[in-house]
Amino acid sequence: MESAIDAVVNIAVPLVLLAVAFFTGRRIERRHYQSIRARENELRMLPAVTFRQIPSAWVVDSFGVVSGSVVISIDYFKRFLAGLRTLVGGRVASYESLLDRARREAILRCKEEAHARGYQAVVNLRLETTRVTRASKNNRATAGVEVLAFGTGLELRRDPR
Amino acid sequence: MLLSTTEGIPGRTIKRFFGVVSGSTVRSKHIGRDIMAGIKNIFGGELTGYTELLQESREDALARMIQEAESLGANAVVNLRFATSSITQGAAELFAYGTAVQVE
Amino acid sequence: MEFDGRLPREGINTSPEHPLREFALLVAGLLGAVAACIAIAALAIDRLVPLVPPALEARWFGGWLAPGKSSDPRAAQVQALLDRIASHWDDRPYPFRADVLDEPDPNALALPGGTILVTSGLLAQVASENELALVLGHELGHYRARDHLRGLGRGLATSLVLGALGSSGELVAGLGAFAGGVAQRGFDRRQESAADVFGLALVQAEYGHVAGAGDFFARLARWQRDAPAEGRRLAGYFDTHPLSEDRVTALAAEAAAHGWPTEGRLTPWPTPAPE
Repeated sequence: MESAIDAVVNIAVPLVLLAVAFFTGRRIERRHYQSIRARENELRMLPAVTFRQIPSAWVVDSFGVVSGSVVISIDYFKRFLAGLRTLVGGRVASYESLLDRARREAILRCKEEAHARGYQAVVNLRLETTRVTRASKNNRATAGVEVLAFGTGLELRRDPR
Repeated sequence: MLLSTTEGIPGRTIKRFFGVVSGSTVRSKHIGRDIMAGIKNIFGGELTGYTELLQESREDALARMIQEAESLGANAVVNLRFATSSITQGAAELFAYGTAVQVE
Repeated sequence: MEFDGRLPREGINTSPEHPLREFALLVAGLLGAVAACIAIAALAIDRLVPLVPPALEARWFGGWLAPGKSSDPRAAQVQALLDRIASHWDDRPYPFRADVLDEPDPNALALPGGTILVTSGLLAQVASENELALVLGHELGHYRARDHLRGLGRGLATSLVLGALGSSGELVAGLGAFAGGVAQRGFDRRQESAADVFGLALVQAEYGHVAGAGDFFARLARWQRDAPAEGRRLAGYFDTHPLSEDRVTALAAEAAAHGWPTEGRLTPWPTPAPE
C-alpha cells in the first residue's frame, strides 16, 4: 500500500511541476518572441555586421564599444527533456529556442545601446555564449544561459543607407 | 552560397550587405558514445565519437546559417566565425555567424 | 555598397517539432528500454541462480542471525514446528533456523543461509498451528526455488541499471526505478504461488489434511477489505507478499486437485500472555 502511495507521489509531483513549467515556460517564451520581433523591426535600419574593417565609403565621426547581454533561465520542463536527450543523442530542441532567444535579445540590446548613444552602425560584432551554473551538490546544474554581443558602434557623417 | 572568413569574397565586389545571419544547433551525445569516452579516458587517444558529433553539429549550424542568408536574398556570407559552448552536461551548442552580402 | 535592413525568415534556428510530442516519445522510449533491460537482467539472474550450490550459499550467508539471539521464548516453539514441517522435505539443502523478530506488523521473511524470520505481530495473529505451518512451509518453498538469491541478484542488477541512468538527473532515475518496479511485480507473483503450492504439500504431509491452512490468508484478506485501519498495519506484509483472495482460492483448488482433505482437527497454537 505505502509503496503504491509512494510511487504515486514520486511520479505525480514531478509531473505536475513539469506541466506547470511547460505551460508557463511556453507563454513566457511566446511573449518574449513577440517582443523580440517587434524590436527587431524597429531597429532594422541600424546595421550590425561582423566586418572587421570599416568600409572605406564611411566617414567616422566618433566610435565606442557597445554591448548587450542577457541571461535566460532554463525551466524544469526543458531541463527534463534535455536530460532524456543526453541518453539517446540527437538535437536538443528544447535548448535551441532558448539560445535563439538569448542571442537575438543580446544583439537587440547591443543595437539599442548603440542607438541610444547616437551611433548609426555596429561593426565587428562578436557573440559569446556562457553557461551559468548553480552551485549544487554533485553536478553543477545549469541555471541559465548568458549571451553577450559586443562590437564597435560608429557615428557616421553620412547615413550608411 | 559563397562562404568566407575574410572581409570580402576574393575577386568579387560587395554590392549590398544585410545584417548578421547565424545558425546554431545544440547536440547531445548518447549513452554509447559516453561509455566509449569513459573507456578512452583510461587509455588516451582521439575521441572519434565526439569528433564526429561536433563535426555533424558544425555542418548543421552552417546549413541553418545558409538558410537564413538565402531567405534574405544574399549569395555570400563573409567574416564567418564559429563558437562552441557547453550548455549542459553532455550537450554542446555550436553556432556559426557572419554577415550576409550580395556580391556581383 | 548599400545596406538592406530586411529580416531573415523566422524559425530557422529552432525545431518545429512540438515539445510535448518529443516528451511523450522520449519518456515512452526510456520506460520501455529500462523495463526491457531489467527484465533481461532478471532472466539472466534466474538462469544463473540454480547454479549456486546450497552448500556454498550456507557458507556465505550462514552467519546471518545465528540462533538463540532472540530472547523470545516462542522462538523455540516456532523452531520445533519448523523442524517438523521441514522433515517432510526430503532433499532439503541445509538445516533451517527460525527466529522471532519483535515487530508489530505481521510478516515472515526467508533469509539467505536458511534463517526464517517471523515477526511477533504475525505470531499474535495466528489462530491455529496449521496456519503457522503453511506460513513456514511457504517460506520453505521460497528456499526450494532459491527465490531469496534471485531477489538479491535482481536487486543488484536493478541498481546497476539505475546507476547508469542516475547521471542524467534524479527525475529520469525516478522514472527508471518506477519502470523497474513494474517489471519486477510480474516475477514475484509466480514465485509466490509456487511457494504456496509447496507449503501446502508440506502441511498435508505433516497433518494428513489441509484444514485451516488457508485461514490465515483469508483473515488477512478480510481485514484488508473490511477494516482499513488494521489493513494498513498489514502494509509491510503486502509489500513483500502480494496478496489477493485469488491466493485463498488457489490453495483450495490445489487441495482439490490432489484430493487432500480440507476438514480435520486443528492443532491450537499456544498464544503466550503479553509481557
